[in-house]
Amino acid sequence: MILALVIGVLFGGSVYLMLQRDRLRVILGFVLLGHACNLLLFSAGGTLRRDEPLGSDLDPSVTADPLPQAFVLTAIVIAFAITIYLLVLAVTGPKDEDAPEEGTDESAAPVGTLEDRYGEFGVPVGDTDPYSADERQGADR
Amino acid sequence: MSLVLAVASAWILVPLAPVLVRLFGRYAGWPLALGMLFPLGILVGLRLDAGDVSQTVPWIPVLDVALRLRMDGLAFLFVLLILVIGAVVLIYSSSYLRAPRSPGFYLLMTAFAAAMLTLVLADDLLLLYVAWELTTLCSYLLILRSGPHAGPAATRTLLVTVAGGLCLLGAVCLIIVRTGTVQLSAALADPAWSSDAGFATAVAALVAVAAMTKSAQFPFHSWLPDAMVAPAPVSAYLHAAAMVKAGIYLLMLFSPAASHAAIWPALLVSIGLLTAALGAVLAVTRRDLKSLLAYSTVSQLGLLVAAIGVGTEVAMLAASVHVIAHALFKSSLFMGVGLIEKRTGTRDLHELSGLWRVLRWDAVMLVLAAASMAGIVPLVGFVSKELIFESLLHSPWGSGWLLALLAAAATVFTVAYSARLVLPTLPGPAMDGVKPWRYAAAMSVAVSATALTGLVLGPIVGILDPVAVPAAAVAAGVAPTEVGHLALWHGVNIPLVLSILAIAAGLAIAVLMGRRDRARSASGAQAPAEWVAPVTGVGVVQGIHDRIISFGHRVGDLTRFDSTAGQLAIPFVIIGAAALTTPLLWQGVGEYSSSTFLDGILLVLVVAGVVAIVRSRTRLGGVIASGIVGFTVVLTFFTLGASDVALTQLLVEVLTVVVMVLVLRRMSWRFPKEDARRRLAAVVAAVFTGAAATAATLVFTGHRGLSDVGEYMMGSAEELTGGTNIVNVILVDFRALDTLGELVVLAIGSVAVAALLDARPLVERKRPAPASPALANPFGNADYLRLLGRVLVPVMIVASLFMLLRGHTAPGGGFIAALLGAGAVVLSYLSAPTDDVPRVQRPYLAIAGLGMVVAAGTGLIGLFDGSFLRALHVDILGYHFTTALVFDLGVYFAVLGVILAAINRLGVSTPDDGTGRRPRPEDDPPPAGSTAPEDSVTAAENVQEASIATEGGGTR
Repeated sequence: MILALVIGVLFGGSVYLMLQRDRLRVILGFVLLGHACNLLLFSAGGTLRRDEPLGSDLDPSVTADPLPQAFVLTAIVIAFAITIYLLVLAVTGPKDEDAPEEGTDESAAPVGTLEDRYGEFGVPVGDTDPYSADERQGADR
Repeated sequence: MSLVLAVASAWILVPLAPVLVRLFGRYAGWPLALGMLFPLGILVGLRLDAGDVSQTVPWIPVLDVALRLRMDGLAFLFVLLILVIGAVVLIYSSSYLRAPRSPGFYLLMTAFAAAMLTLVLADDLLLLYVAWELTTLCSYLLILRSGPHAGPAATRTLLVTVAGGLCLLGAVCLIIVRTGTVQLSAALADPAWSSDAGFATAVAALVAVAAMTKSAQFPFHSWLPDAMVAPAPVSAYLHAAAMVKAGIYLLMLFSPAASHAAIWPALLVSIGLLTAALGAVLAVTRRDLKSLLAYSTVSQLGLLVAAIGVGTEVAMLAASVHVIAHALFKSSLFMGVGLIEKRTGTRDLHELSGLWRVLRWDAVMLVLAAASMAGIVPLVGFVSKELIFESLLHSPWGSGWLLALLAAAATVFTVAYSARLVLPTLPGPAMDGVKPWRYAAAMSVAVSATALTGLVLGPIVGILDPVAVPAAAVAAGVAPTEVGHLALWHGVNIPLVLSILAIAAGLAIAVLMGRRDRARSASGAQAPAEWVAPVTGVGVVQGIHDRIISFGHRVGDLTRFDSTAGQLAIPFVIIGAAALTTPLLWQGVGEYSSSTFLDGILLVLVVAGVVAIVRSRTRLGGVIASGIVGFTVVLTFFTLGASDVALTQLLVEVLTVVVMVLVLRRMSWRFPKEDARRRLAAVVAAVFTGAAATAATLVFTGHRGLSDVGEYMMGSAEELTGGTNIVNVILVDFRALDTLGELVVLAIGSVAVAALLDARPLVERKRPAPASPALANPFGNADYLRLLGRVLVPVMIVASLFMLLRGHTAPGGGFIAALLGAGAVVLSYLSAPTDDVPRVQRPYLAIAGLGMVVAAGTGLIGLFDGSFLRALHVDILGYHFTTALVFDLGVYFAVLGVILAAINRLGVSTPDDGTGRRPRPEDDPPPAGSTAPEDSVTAAENVQEASIATEGGGTR
């Protein structure tokens, strides 16, 4: 029952993130989607029996189903490889993804207004240095 | 000596062709021609020794899948055709081709020959179909590679012939379903053909359409003239002698069975005669000799189809002889036209003249071949044409006179275009700039060989009896003794009278057309362009092709978005809508699911993590928050009794963070703002999907106990494999093939990453300037990690090996061990003071490849025990060893290589990042507290930002 809620939260979070334009958000959404699917596989194996399938003379009435575990184990590694690929996709190319001026598709409209990008104080919020950003405008977060 | 050996030796020539081209250049045609004689020798020997032979090599006996080959009289006729003409054309090619190296041409020609041989020797419906499509593909590729303008023509050819191939597939499926066998000879002998009219009609129609597309019958004839963009050897072999005859073979093969359907003779005779007349008329109007020959081929094939439709013994004998005669004279003519084009530089009827003066020997051969085509005594073409007239006259379907007169009318034009090949071109003044005969010596040899054979075979046509009579017997479904014998002269009879009339009329047409042409050229008028019908087959096919493409575009446009979100929203909405039905299926909370207090805590953590990711405004914050979720999931796995999975997830989580940090420095510090509408839509979608997922989980899971498979694996893992870690046993023993497949996926991903990074540069951003100079000192900063790494890295490597070894009986195994090993290397990366050079220079992709080789090799060892990937067990000195451990070692290498390859490539600064310099922190010591713009995306933006930043500084 609670596992179903966990799965729902993970699915919801992943859908929200994957519908964003930023590629890192999409990737984080993909990671959450992987978690959700893996837990769904576990749920399919049943959550009543929770003993580890390790050792001799296992009692089938309390031992967890090893098959979904094996599926999930391989799924994790494949999802990891795909995540790496997505991450590489996000940082290759002649242009950074935050440079919509060069974008050719219509959906790549400039992100927000000038004010959005530079903040109400006229200080760039987008691409400032991480070490001093918070100290300079600590009220931002 | 067997059929399999013959077919195999034909296929061996295919990989051999590029090697021979490397050795001999274009002269590779000679050894390849010799190579074709090898299967020919085997098959002729078999035919002489044993007559009809068949051979079956079982492959998957359970499914009744086998390599079934059979050679009866019909197949033997086509075997001779394919291999003899093939050898001649290859010799011709060695002179025709002028490019020093053309491995592709010879490769495809030999592949075509092998596919064609497989086609005629197949005794299996599926093999027949596969070989049929292979010939189509070879033809397509040979046309495609013949020049920059060949693309559309090749595509049209493919479109028509593949449509026919699909008809054949339909017929094959129908036959297999109805007769219950895939063996061709058994299926053709099935009583269903005579008892089930609907089945026979459907299959007959499908087979007829398939054959008609391949043999260029109306209305599918247009591809053949279209395909004439291919070079002369391809036209001579594929589009005259062999490939178009595949349709004829199919018709002859199916004729005894399919003629039970009334539609069969009606379709074949009517379409055949129509095509014969149409093709001949169109051929007469052509100026381009090759185009003329193409339409002539269409017409001749029409005659063949009509004869097969008649289906009597005489008709099949006529078809068999005409197959031989046509292959000889048409390949000779195509090669001859190619020779003329090579030596004179043109193949236009109106430009050619005086060939008799400049290439006397070849001119004689051309006349011989044309005469055979026109059916003039004593050439072999005469024999076959007379037989076709004879068979049409005595058609069992009635109106023999009408059919014979139609064929005679077609023959009038056949004579006319045959005469037009030679009458205007041979006499007259010699042309200038003709290349010497030595230039085309091998071409002459090939042209002469086929033309002279046509001459010699005429008077002694009786020696074709052993080839043509059994073929006709098979096609007519009778014993060979019931088929008559071949003879050149049958006395004065109706066919002879028809022939004489046709020759006279045809010559008259040719002479009249010649006069008209001469008068026109004398008056200086331009020769008219070739007559083009208002509706051309080519136009229709191109139109269909274009409409299919535009229709596809229209369908695709429905779901084509430039944004990722648009693409992803569709499946989300569809799956979400499906989830709306879940409440209908509600059957209570699953009795096999449980919840604990700990689960509740984990739920709270997951919610916190997800909310943190969603609300995070900086990228680093998002990555850290995703770590919260990841580690909570790890704990969840632990509580569910899956320590292996949890360990894997834990290590993956660590490595994911490392990779993300590597790419983070190439991204802006903050997430860009999304607009409110998108956020709102995403929230709605997220809430809806989340609820749907929860509902679906509750409805669909937890209602079933332990799976049978799971119980079996738990119960017998130790006994069967010696392992007590069931999950690991499943990965490396029970379902090792899945794991191998997964390694392939990983390796492909890794190659994709490498290819991507080779093709496009990494985005390089100027390093953010640290606020305090202390942070800018990379050596000092790395001290702690370096010290830690010095201790931890060896420990981690040892631990990783330990994990690998104990995987079979305790948590561990190849995946976990490799992730741990990768973690060790990553630690040494992180503690490095500079990223100028990769920390550990190793060929990581090669390591991954080694892993694949080890894993697959272990699988092959399993074959000794009868099954791929079966683990073998040995006890040495009281210790139990299994090859599953070696397989796990393969997994280890593969996963390690894949991860490290990616990290290695991502972790390095690219020197050619557009700024022309390698960014180093120490390069520009930052003024403390400066607000210099850090993004160097474009110069313009830089300037803009700089000005705003200055203003910002001012206002602050």
